[in-house]
Parts: sequence; C-alpha cells; structure tokens
Amino acid sequence: MTIYSFYIFDRHTECIYSKSWLHPSLTEPPPRPISTTTTTTTTPSEPNTNTGPGRPDRRSRAARAGDDAKLIFGTVFSLRNMVRKLGGEDDAFISYRTGQYKLHYYETASSVRFVMLTDTAAPSMRNVLHQIYINLWVEYVVKNPLAPVEHKGGAGVRNELFEMGLDQFIRGLM
Amino acid sequence: MLETRLSATVFALIIINKAGGLIYNKTFHEAGLNKISTNDLLVLAGTFHGVHAITARLNPIKNPAAAAGITAPAPNPAAPPGILTRPEPQSGLEVLESENFRLQCFNTMTGTKFLLFTDTAQANVDVTIRRVYELYADYVMKNPFYQLEMPVRCDMFDRKLLSYIREINSR
Repeated sequence: MTIYSFYIFDRHTECIYSKSWLHPSLTEPPPRPISTTTTTTTTPSEPNTNTGPGRPDRRSRAARAGDDAKLIFGTVFSLRNMVRKLGGEDDAFISYRTGQYKLHYYETASSVRFVMLTDTAAPSMRNVLHQIYINLWVEYVVKNPLAPVEHKGGAGVRNELFEMGLDQFIRGLM
Repeated sequence: MLETRLSATVFALIIINKAGGLIYNKTFHEAGLNKISTNDLLVLAGTFHGVHAITARLNPIKNPAAAAGITAPAPNPAAPPGILTRPEPQSGLEVLESENFRLQCFNTMTGTKFLLFTDTAQANVDVTIRRVYELYADYVMKNPFYQLEMPVRCDMFDRKLLSYIREINSR
C-alpha cells in the first residue's frame, strides 16, 4: 500500500495542513513535448529549459499544491452533499476510487475534514483517519495551549510533535 | 441474517449524457435511497459530471513517465527512439462508497456515464453495469426514433432493464 498525500481542512473550508509522501519528480507535470519541424532528436534536459518566451512562467510547486488542495476540497464537499442528499442526513461519504488513485474522507463532528490519497489497492482508511484525529490532532493540536482556536493559514498545526507523529504513523503503515 | 439477505440490492440507475444532462433515471428499490425531486436530480447529474472531470485531474502522480522510471530505472528499450508512448488516459471517479450505499460509475468511450446505486454489500457491480450498457446499446441506440443526447423514452429498454435488475435483486 502506498500513501500519496494527506490534507486537513477546517470548518471555514481552508486547507490548514497538507503533506505529500511522493517523490517530488512524480508530482511535477511532465514537460510538454515540443513539436519540431526538423528531425533533430531532443535531449531529455532540453524541454525543461525550452519553455519558450511566449508561455507564462512555470508556477511554483507551492502554488500548484494550493490549487490541488482547493480542487480536493471542492470535490469532497460536492460528493459529501450528494451523499447526504441521496443517503439521508446521517449518511457519510467514505471514499471514492478512480483508475489511478483512491481518496479517503473523514469528517469530525466539529467539521474538521481529513482527506487521504492512496493507491487504488488500499483498504478502507477510515479508521486510520479516525486514529489520526484522536491520537494526533486532539493530542497535539487541540490540547496544545499555545495553538489558536482557528488555524488560520495552518497556525498551530505545524508543530513538531504533530508532524513527527503523523510522519511516523504513515510510514509505519506503508 | 434476513437483513443481509435483503441487502444485496440494486437501488437505482442514472444515465448522464456527455454534456452533463440527465437522460434517464429509474428507481428499482424504493427503500434504498432518499426520494429526491427531478429538479434536484438534474442538479445532481450536473454536479456529478463536473466532479467526475475534476477527480480525473486530481491524480497525485502527475508524471507517470517518472513513476515508471523510479520503479524500473532503465527506459523501455523496446520503444524505438522518437516515438512517444502514450500513457494510460486518466479515468475519473469509478466507485464511490458511503455508509448507506455504493455508487459505481461507468464512463463509456463517448462520455456517456452510467451511475448504478447499489447496497454496500453488492458484488460484481461492474458486470451488471456493463450488461446495462449492452441493453442501452441494443434498445436505445438501435431505436430509430431515439434522438441522440435526449431523454431516453424507450419501452423495450425499460422492460429489459427492469427484468434484468429484478433478476439480480431477487437472487
């Protein structure tokens, strides 16, 4: 089982924590192939430098990760509402799977949302997300007297104990 | 045990055309899902269409070529130089699970989506959904009076679908 990434969203729909366990080269979109009129062979390093003057500057990795977080939130929010509409108010959205990955979702009573992306073969990670909530979030973020009530921009979440605990827990699963 | 016996059930079928419009919906088991109005159902179909497109783009592995490179460092020697191998197309949402139901989505080559709502315990839904697609191909697409992308109103399709699903639900 491989765990790709993990996100926490607060009740104001803001992404307050995100972490990826993927190799950075995998999350970069592949360089666009350049059409050449001549039959010269391009070296692998060329497409990266040859983005062309007409194209806007490549966006930073952080900006793209932020976009991904927003898309993920929009997706789980829509699906959660859809599930509630069809299955009743007490129904809960658990996960979805595509051909490439699987997304797991867990929402607490206080509307903190935990999202995890794994490979398609992973079993249900609902209890794992629940464990993260109980053993890491409540212990190291909620019970931390220095952490603010609202985690604007991730304030209070990025503390050493929480990050270390999460990393160890996830690496233990893989 | 009676409950588990009853639980393997197909609840409903929805067909969404390639523009995100609802063209068919049928409930087979009343108790399975909440009753929602046709208007809400249209909104739901449109929302699902959008979400489906987003889920295809959310793939965390943005660079499948590099992924192949990490697991097997040597580049594919069989592929002649200069010919780019085409990666697997990104597929959108295929299965959604909730506490009360399971949603299987089958996206055809032309972009029509078949959504089958079943109980969480239902097995082999992919086989069922393909059979439904076959029925659609046989009794909707081959119906000379059916207009493409328009709501499906074909008696034969209704009848065949009902008898097929009834057979599954009574198993």
